[in-house]
Amino acid sequence: MNHLFARFSLLALFGATFTFSACSNDDNDNEVKPAEALKTETASNLAPTPSTAPTTGQPSTPRHYAFYSFATKSAVAYTDSATTKWDLAVRGTDILINGGSSGPGQGGAIVKEGLFSEVTTAPTTDYKVDAPGALAITKGSGKGWYNYNTTTHVVTPIAGRVLLIRTATGKYAKVEIVSYYKDAPATPTGTEPSGYYTFRYVYQPDGSTNLK
Amino acid sequence: MQRFLTPTSLFVLVLAPTVSWAQLQTAPADTSTRHLRLREVVVTATRTEKALTEVPIPVTVIGKQQIKTMGALRLSDVLGEQTGLNLVADHGRGIQMQGLNPEYTLILVDGEPLIGRTAGTLELSRVAVGNIERVEVVKGPASAIWGSEALAGVVNIITQKPQPGTRSEVRLRYGTNRTADVGGTFNYKQHRLGLTVFGNRYSSAGYTLQPASGQATVPPFASYTGQSRLSYQLDDKTTLSISGRYFIENQSSELPISSEGGQTARVRLQGRQQDFSLNPTLTRCFSDKLFGTLRFYHAGYRTQENYTYTANGAPYDASYFHQTFTRPEAQLDWRLHPKHTLTAGAGYLLESVEATRYDQRHQMRSAYGYLQDDWTPLPGLNLVAGVRYDGHSQYQGQLSPKLSGRYQVRPWLAVRASAGRGFRAPDFRQLYLNFSNPAVGYSVFGTHQVQEKVAQLIAQGQIALDPATGQPLINVALLTQASSLTAESSRAYNAGFQLDPTSKLRLTANFFHNDLRDLIETAAVAQKTNGQSVYSYRNVSRAYTQGVETDARYLLGQHLTLSAGYQYLVAKDRTVLAQLKAGSIYRRDPQTLETVRLTAANYGGLYNRSRHTANVKLFYENQAAGWTGSVRGVYRGRYGFQDRNGNLILDAANEYVPGYWLLNVAAAKTFRQRYTLQAGLDNALNYTDPAYLSTVPGRLYYASVAIALGQK
Repeated sequence: MNHLFARFSLLALFGATFTFSACSNDDNDNEVKPAEALKTETASNLAPTPSTAPTTGQPSTPRHYAFYSFATKSAVAYTDSATTKWDLAVRGTDILINGGSSGPGQGGAIVKEGLFSEVTTAPTTDYKVDAPGALAITKGSGKGWYNYNTTTHVVTPIAGRVLLIRTATGKYAKVEIVSYYKDAPATPTGTEPSGYYTFRYVYQPDGSTNLK
Repeated sequence: MQRFLTPTSLFVLVLAPTVSWAQLQTAPADTSTRHLRLREVVVTATRTEKALTEVPIPVTVIGKQQIKTMGALRLSDVLGEQTGLNLVADHGRGIQMQGLNPEYTLILVDGEPLIGRTAGTLELSRVAVGNIERVEVVKGPASAIWGSEALAGVVNIITQKPQPGTRSEVRLRYGTNRTADVGGTFNYKQHRLGLTVFGNRYSSAGYTLQPASGQATVPPFASYTGQSRLSYQLDDKTTLSISGRYFIENQSSELPISSEGGQTARVRLQGRQQDFSLNPTLTRCFSDKLFGTLRFYHAGYRTQENYTYTANGAPYDASYFHQTFTRPEAQLDWRLHPKHTLTAGAGYLLESVEATRYDQRHQMRSAYGYLQDDWTPLPGLNLVAGVRYDGHSQYQGQLSPKLSGRYQVRPWLAVRASAGRGFRAPDFRQLYLNFSNPAVGYSVFGTHQVQEKVAQLIAQGQIALDPATGQPLINVALLTQASSLTAESSRAYNAGFQLDPTSKLRLTANFFHNDLRDLIETAAVAQKTNGQSVYSYRNVSRAYTQGVETDARYLLGQHLTLSAGYQYLVAKDRTVLAQLKAGSIYRRDPQTLETVRLTAANYGGLYNRSRHTANVKLFYENQAAGWTGSVRGVYRGRYGFQDRNGNLILDAANEYVPGYWLLNVAAAKTFRQRYTLQAGLDNALNYTDPAYLSTVPGRLYYASVAIALGQK
């Protein structure tokens, strides 16, 4: 029953998008099939500009973060940073959620160990929110989402870390960051432009905790 | 089979093992050795003289003649070609034994430790081999007689003792990279007085594997070694011997330093390191059953590094490190019964350190005693049981027992097994370091003072506060662990056999397992306001190494010996194994960016360990015709270098360094028993790997001449 309900609300919201087209393939047995899997989206090269200092080529701290909305699957202008239009913001190795000290939304985050595909339900409690000096997605090598190699100076997103996100509007999503370098090179050398986030995510627009 | 020593032979023993051992031949001939090898005597396994073929633990002996035939100059050249020993580079070239890092192998010169390790590694090229009688390598923990650091094993360098007569030798060698080695030995012995003197100068222009870096891989250096031993027979039962050593190396290089703002300045580094030691020893033979030794050893190690800007000579940085080691020790060997020999010893150790990164001069004191029973219950069966206790001023006392046995099952088959505990004391750095990185801003404190230093930082407002509680961000549990730092230890098991199927062939094998506990790691104990951490040390990890080492030796002809060695090694971190079992380590496919969970099968083990290492050697020795020669191939299989995919463990193909062969050849001809010419080529295949192998330059050609003076 739950599944059916979820599906109907999905249809209602996104009747014309992917959910519908997925449905149309198997409308013969839509009474018994569980809800269609949500689509895994990939966002590439989310980065604030400029992310490198023009003189030295070294990464330098850009003035603004780069903002992203799961609902619109697109970047949001930094001028909208004080709104609930964005869910996630990145600059350097820092990741903000739209809540607490970072924004006016209901955002929160949990860094969970596991496989992206194995996380099928979002928890409803224990979300951390950003505070000054203590981000919900903890800063530092090995503490949050990445490891920094002191020999090669390469920042690698830790495999098996899923960011469970409560969005600005209180909906749920799961995110896996897969690259920190421009165009997600297979084997980064540390000299590529950095701070370019490539991440996979599943966003549940209906407000339920289902992330399957 | 017992061979306790007669008073006369004991004296000779102390002064001249090569002679003494011939006298010991009165013991029944050991048929197992047959024609393969002379009955060699070793001292490192039990701290008493014992025939190599009878020791119950694995021992490798590399003799003077073999060292000469190899054309070796430094200890690193000698050890790097032995089965089960790998040369590894970490702040110097050290030896990896049974898969354990260089800091776990004790390096002795005539039974007294060489000091001066950098990040745990004792640079083996500090030891010249021109005056070495033999090198003994004991594998498996020997803390039951040797104490701290003898966790993987012991390397004991036995220098030449005065031999009757007067003679000397001078040697000169020159080779690739303007590497020059000049030196000589002098020997005198008559009546009661004996003297040996060794002097050596070793220099090189160094080499550069990565010219683009603007920095030499090995900068030019020159080193001098002086070593001498004086022995005097006070009466027919007592002998005094005094040996001393001095080593100095100067090195200078230039390196680019990038400052803030991306500017690069060139800086000149002048480095100097010195070590010295003085070692008077008194031995007395009280009766044919009781033999006593009194030893005093004082050693020092000093380094000095001065950095100045090349452009104007202004100082950039300077640092120094001074260490001393002082130890009196007494030992009694007592033949209690025809089947029992007891060895008992006790000593006191005072160590001090003073350095740029330590806030004051620190001293550590330790007292210890050891007891060993060498028991032969049946002909062919030998059991050695030993125990040692080390009490220490800075960490908890260590009790190290060991039991080993050997049984001659058949004339052509002997088996041996041992079990024991080894330990390694926390070093100065782990106890006393006081270092804050000026550029990055983190701090590292030794465990001895970390509580006090963190309290100081809190008072200065340098520790970040928890936004929720307003309390300083300190990990109290880690801080407590750091303050109670103890020694790293192992339990080790060795078992093996020696097979002599024919008079020309010998096969040996040894299986080993080292179970390591309380390995010391750094831990972040507090967070600073600048976002960096305060680090200290704690005992945390558990690991194991295990494998098998095999050797085969075959006499191809009267003068030709073919040998081959192989080691199979597995070394793993138990914490990682537990995480893999729990399914909490992952890997992302670099192409598809898909994440998968890893299993134990994906884990390559500890970094810098080769699963397979091997060597094949051919030695030709024809003393009558004056010809010697050798061809030696040494293989090191692929090994993990560093993590690349962010999961911190060794699991991906690109985290390995490829395996390689080093092929070395040398040949020598002696004319009129006085003049020896030698020519050689190291790394004949010209293998290099600039990114990962800083210690392997390309081909090295050399030629040398040696002239023997005095009576032969």
